Amino acid sequence: MRTSINQRGRRGAAVAAGAAATALILSACGGGDSGVGGTGEVEAQDCPCEIRFSWWGSDERHAATQEIIDAFEAENPDITVVPDFTDWDGYWNKLSTTVAAGDTPDVMTQEERYVSDYATRGVLADLGELDIDTSKIDESILAGGRIDGTQYALPTGINAYAIVANPGVFEEAGVEIPDDTSWTWEEYVEVANAVSEGAGEGVWGAQDYGFNEAGLNILARQKGESLWTPDGEIGVSEETVAQFFQTSLDLMADGGQPDASRTIEYQHAGPEGSLVGTNVGGMASFWSNQLGALSEASGEDIQLLRYPGETEFERTGMYYKPAMFYSVSATTEYPDAAAKFVDFLLNSEEAAKINLTDRGLPANTDMREVIADDLTDADKQVADFMADLGDEIVDASPVPPNGSAEMQDIMERINTEVVFERITPEEAATMFMEEVNAAIAD
Amino acid sequence: MSSVIQEVASTRRTAGERRKGDGRMAALFLAPWFVGLFLITAGPMAASLYLSFTDYDLLSAPTWIGVDNYVRMFEDPRLLQSLQVTFTYVFVSVPLQLAAALALALVLDKGMRGLALYRSVYYLPSLLGGSVAIAILWRQIFGADGLVNQVLALVGIEGTGWVSHPDHALNTLIILNVWTFGAPMVIFLAGLRQIPRMYYEAASIDGAGRLRQFWSITVPMLTPIVFFNLVLQLINAFQNFTQAFVVSGGNGGPADSTLLYTLYLYRKGFADLDMGYASAMAWFLLLIIGGMTLVNFLASKYWVHYDD
Repeated sequence: MRTSINQRGRRGAAVAAGAAATALILSACGGGDSGVGGTGEVEAQDCPCEIRFSWWGSDERHAATQEIIDAFEAENPDITVVPDFTDWDGYWNKLSTTVAAGDTPDVMTQEERYVSDYATRGVLADLGELDIDTSKIDESILAGGRIDGTQYALPTGINAYAIVANPGVFEEAGVEIPDDTSWTWEEYVEVANAVSEGAGEGVWGAQDYGFNEAGLNILARQKGESLWTPDGEIGVSEETVAQFFQTSLDLMADGGQPDASRTIEYQHAGPEGSLVGTNVGGMASFWSNQLGALSEASGEDIQLLRYPGETEFERTGMYYKPAMFYSVSATTEYPDAAAKFVDFLLNSEEAAKINLTDRGLPANTDMREVIADDLTDADKQVADFMADLGDEIVDASPVPPNGSAEMQDIMERINTEVVFERITPEEAATMFMEEVNAAIAD
Repeated sequence: MSSVIQEVASTRRTAGERRKGDGRMAALFLAPWFVGLFLITAGPMAASLYLSFTDYDLLSAPTWIGVDNYVRMFEDPRLLQSLQVTFTYVFVSVPLQLAAALALALVLDKGMRGLALYRSVYYLPSLLGGSVAIAILWRQIFGADGLVNQVLALVGIEGTGWVSHPDHALNTLIILNVWTFGAPMVIFLAGLRQIPRMYYEAASIDGAGRLRQFWSITVPMLTPIVFFNLVLQLINAFQNFTQAFVVSGGNGGPADSTLLYTLYLYRKGFADLDMGYASAMAWFLLLIIGGMTLVNFLASKYWVHYDD
């Protein structure tokens, strides 16, 4: 079953989700709602026991995670960990249906756009009550997994959203890589246009950043706003949203970015097929943990740069994002075993050495030193970059509210309308406000 | 099981009794199908009818909200968009697909050498068309630097990224659906074989040309088959999902231009955790398809010719 889902990949997972839905409706029909939600009291059982751990990711991550599980089982012979994994898209379909069917994985991987949905509906256990050591995790990062004062999720590691630059393309274009400690948004546009011009046909200065709300969040924070407020409302102004889309549109008009159709295609090509990854683009926006994939795909030493505008407005906008979280089911029969496993994932040197930076630069600060010697050049650069940011980051970005899982869709839809010039950036900003408000309202 | 067989064997006396025994036997053999019907189809359908009147996020228990989901559908601009996309898709691709199927069937009916091979070759897309691999291939062919644009470039036309352009993405899906004309083609071919040759002989003795024969014999004799294909393909097209899912990258993009109704339903249920609304959408789709099929049957009185 494991390998078959893996081989069939994301489409297969979607089909599987459909099948799971059928099964779910069936069970809802026959068995009532005994397993739904986390309201029922579950009596904790002693081990020997079997717990299920679910995660998403690439084949490399699956292999590495299996190694970690093996190491854990060797140390804890009375606990068996059953692996349960799919790709990113299939993961959420599968997780929601298994929860609905009352079959929530004992330990699961969570992400900031979904964690609030699961936490506020009683699916996740209060980790503060379990025996997991969190003393080595920075308080501001721990806060990312805290909702209404309860620690529902523990961050695996941290990422930063940043600009990646391809030195080969810059050289080809005869343009210098800008100084990222002081560059402005205007300079970003100028540099991108210069690269397009210098490198000639088929090479562009930048890949459109408008599909990901993280870039918008950085701009908002620079201007003293924030994508989300701590109360779970939209915290960014319509004006900032319009400015965000306008910059990308200007870039397209001046040739700094490819045309709209290509923009959409490159967006769907992942890091490996991106402009920077295929050596036909100078800059793009990615999460810092994707640097390795970009460097490998391009064969270049791709550079991480701070987002533009860090010194332009009232404050800096960059932030650490919890890469993912570990959560425990509120209905698990074996909370102690689950806690032991999460503790192992976060705090054991063995797990850290296998995982390296695959789930972000480890949240446990001790583990960053443990893995330092084993890192690739790209990962070393990520570690240094993150360390440099430490002094500049003002505060953590608030946890996105319920419904924020729709954000990815909304951004993609609106940005597509913008790049094809079917709506103006101002109309896009209005649409953004309406759609995001609707998404978090229900 | 064996007692049933014995019973059947011992009751072979009168015709009436025998019929009764056959009935039991039939019920026995149909039983697995009935189990499937009730457990896999009817049960979930009943559940989804119930869920359509609830607010259900999959993670917590459903709460009854009456007809709210159905009311919300009338205020949902994306639902309207998805209906527009779906109707365009269905009403453009199905007639084209049937026309292509009939045209190929007419050619193949001429009884050329290697007919079986051609029939298989043209049927192949029907087997593959719904598959994920073909949909991925489609993305490549109609990409900005794909095969279509390379061919266009040869004749000096600069194409766009067909799949990634909101004005053209749906057309690539329509072409993909038209391309899978194999199933209706095989049925047309069988229908053509059913038309007695003597009609054509009589017509040609009377001096009717090929075109006249086609319009006065082939077309009327074939209308029941056309009707059959039309009903089936309409229903199929309304329920299409895989192609749009893969070609659009799973979200009906770019800019909702390929947001087929089924795709939107799926996203509402599983991505947006709004299963109550998705269930209501499913029942609305059933109404639409039922309504379309009813209209089809009513209209058939005026154009379908049964030869009896």
